[in-house]
Amino acid sequence: MAALSRPAPLPRRAAPLPRRAAAWPRRAAALAVEVAGAAARRALLLVVLLAVVFAAVEALPGDAATAAAERGESAADLAARRHLLGLDRPLWERFLEWMTALPTGDLGTSAQGRQVTELLADPFPNTLLLGASAFVLTVVLSLALGCWAAARPGRLTDRLIGHAATASFAVPEFVVSVLLLLVLSLWTGWLPAVTVTGADGAPASWAMLIMPVVALVIPQTGWNTRIVRGALADQTATPHVEAAVLDGLPTRQVLLRHALPGAVPAIATGIATSTGMLLGGAVVVETLFNYPGVGTVLAGAVAARDTPLIAGVVICAGAAISLVLLAADLLRARVVGARA
Amino acid sequence: MKMNRRQVLWAGGAMGATALLAACTSGSGDTAAEPASADDKPKRGGTLRVGALGRAGAITRDPHGSQANESDYLVIALVHDTLTVPGAKPNTLPRLAASWEPSADLTTWKFKLAKGAAFHDGSPVTADDVVWSLRRLRNTPSGASRLPGIKPENIKAEGADTVVLVSDHPNAELPLLTRLTTFVLKKDTADDALDKAPGTGPFKLDWYRGGNARLVRNDSWYAGTVHLDAIEVTMFETPQAMANALLAGQIDVASNAGAVAARTAEARRDIQVLRRPDDMAMPIVMRTAAGSPFADPRVREAMRLVVDRDAMVKQVLSGYGTVANDILGTGDPHYAKDVPQRRRDLEKAKKLLTEAGFDLSRTYDLVTTEDIPGLAESATLFANQAREAGVKVQVVKQESGAFWDKTWKTGDFYTTYWGTNDSVVFFASKTMVSQAATNEAGWADKDFDAAYLKVIGTADETARAAALKELQRIEFDRSGYLLWGMADGIDLATAKVRGLPKLPGYGRVQLENVWLR
Repeated sequence: MAALSRPAPLPRRAAPLPRRAAAWPRRAAALAVEVAGAAARRALLLVVLLAVVFAAVEALPGDAATAAAERGESAADLAARRHLLGLDRPLWERFLEWMTALPTGDLGTSAQGRQVTELLADPFPNTLLLGASAFVLTVVLSLALGCWAAARPGRLTDRLIGHAATASFAVPEFVVSVLLLLVLSLWTGWLPAVTVTGADGAPASWAMLIMPVVALVIPQTGWNTRIVRGALADQTATPHVEAAVLDGLPTRQVLLRHALPGAVPAIATGIATSTGMLLGGAVVVETLFNYPGVGTVLAGAVAARDTPLIAGVVICAGAAISLVLLAADLLRARVVGARA
Repeated sequence: MKMNRRQVLWAGGAMGATALLAACTSGSGDTAAEPASADDKPKRGGTLRVGALGRAGAITRDPHGSQANESDYLVIALVHDTLTVPGAKPNTLPRLAASWEPSADLTTWKFKLAKGAAFHDGSPVTADDVVWSLRRLRNTPSGASRLPGIKPENIKAEGADTVVLVSDHPNAELPLLTRLTTFVLKKDTADDALDKAPGTGPFKLDWYRGGNARLVRNDSWYAGTVHLDAIEVTMFETPQAMANALLAGQIDVASNAGAVAARTAEARRDIQVLRRPDDMAMPIVMRTAAGSPFADPRVREAMRLVVDRDAMVKQVLSGYGTVANDILGTGDPHYAKDVPQRRRDLEKAKKLLTEAGFDLSRTYDLVTTEDIPGLAESATLFANQAREAGVKVQVVKQESGAFWDKTWKTGDFYTTYWGTNDSVVFFASKTMVSQAATNEAGWADKDFDAAYLKVIGTADETARAAALKELQRIEFDRSGYLLWGMADGIDLATAKVRGLPKLPGYGRVQLENVWLR
């Protein structure tokens, strides 16, 4: 697990006081250990998750051989198919083989005999693009809306934003998607209804990204706006913010300089949990807009009992989510640490 | 978690459909589709954008593998040719094999290859290429069911242009087996070279990526003139997304879009709804073996009298289908149209059930899946209809994997479906002869077996037709199937597309005659 440790981050200030400089190597090492530990815990969690995935697919009725078989295949044909897919070996052996190949970047072979890495080579970047765009937009919008509402506590704007946020979080992605499709594509013809890809495997036009991204952003922005607003409300009640208000500082400055920094840990945690929901929502949104991402791969893979493919999707999505959670943890540790 | 997601997708689909309906009824100013006139002369040129169903995780490029994706099968069928292809009448037409001839005992069949047939790289197709390809197909796990009765060593070349297939038993319908999966590759094509292997078909592969592909015209195709410059295939996971793409003008044809999309598109005058009859059979299987509540033929007859076929077609298939008569293979040119149509007769059904001592106090489970649209609905509607005859039927929905693993071939009462419906003999051999590997109802009937052997062992056309009639009569009287209707295959297309496929089932891939106005 030593490979997982990251190089110590550079000091923020180039020339600190000599006394603090002496403390730096120790602090950097401590931080590195902390990061490595957190990363190791997350990696271990992923391994457990993968074991659960393997066991869960095994527990489902039928297997990849029966799913791919044609009607009329005899028991011997099925056995041959099972052998070809390696399904005649015990589960732990297949799991171990898959896990040991993982560090080399080999995700195994799908039930249709294609390399899983090849099957995910286009969809995973496409989903990352979709997820990252939605993530950035969610962060920007919910911070802006949350701050705007917090600046006018109890006033009409605050109440409107609060209700709108609750409402949009309550609406599932597929309802948003269908409405968007209807209005922006089928009625007006402004946007393409589905995503089609060209010879390069990427969406043929950026306009095809708009509706899927918006469909993901609306519910998540609702959720995170409430978190931002709530965290800011907690902060406004703290003595140092009250003092800033009593000092007569402008609202804007109080919010951004005094309240927001303290609210960062809560906000970071809230937004980080959104990553999982964004990827979960991607499964639905990708299907509705025919967006060529891992969501569509996953849906088919479960039906086909294609364990290596399911595991491949899980490890990619799991790694992405883990990285964001890790970043959130570090951000929180840093902010809380700095204040301690 | 999985069920939730499934439910969500279903709900999404339903919502999408309703929304689409609303979108279409309010649409206006659409240009009317001009009626196709018979003297329309095909125009050369243009690119056809086709949508076909498929899933990114299941993509395959192996012409002899199991093609779970319609999109993959479409690409393979346009790039590679099979020995024969489905037709309307007769149901088997020449393609790479220009003609065929059986021996007197109907075991040895000689296929003569079409003159001028060549691969896309220019090299001619030889009997050796065909033999190698057929053996490769035969040696896959599905090989024995795709070429039943033909051992790999009994596939041989005779000279440069003749391929000989020897069957273990007389088989007058052997050419039928060579229609759908006998794609021909060059001899010794390596498994890792399949993606770019040249075919002999009407289109050449330009590129393929993640289930989507672009194909360009094969100017020197031996089997006819191809009008289109190119075909672009886009894979869709759901019929809803495919229909949306068509309505938004992103594709020209939505292949096998289904009844829900068709109902939506009917309101749009700029979209053609093309129906290919006899596409899908969704029979109810009643186990005939001892121990089953349906073992008594009178009970099975009663169930067939209980069902209201017109209502089933109207409600389950939204009217996109036809009433059937409990004989499978409705698209066969030799289908027995003269057997009187069975109709609902509750009095007679009740009488038969009483005579057979059928236990009306029990509730019978009818197991179904949501594998194809309408299947679960057919079970539910049948259950309601059976209640009117005093038979209590409870519908049990199983997840697809569970159904095929646990219920199929062993359950007493379940729904099934078949997508190739242009041969009575195909169903007899696959599902009704007592020894059939997929005898879904566990049916064993000496008279039926005898009739089957007579059909496949008789060379004389008239005598065979008579035997085929007898076989269908027995099937009508006492098989384990209740076949209430046949679903149409439905393609949607924009007004400019002409020459689209009319055949059911795998005939939907025959795009070689398509042209654009």
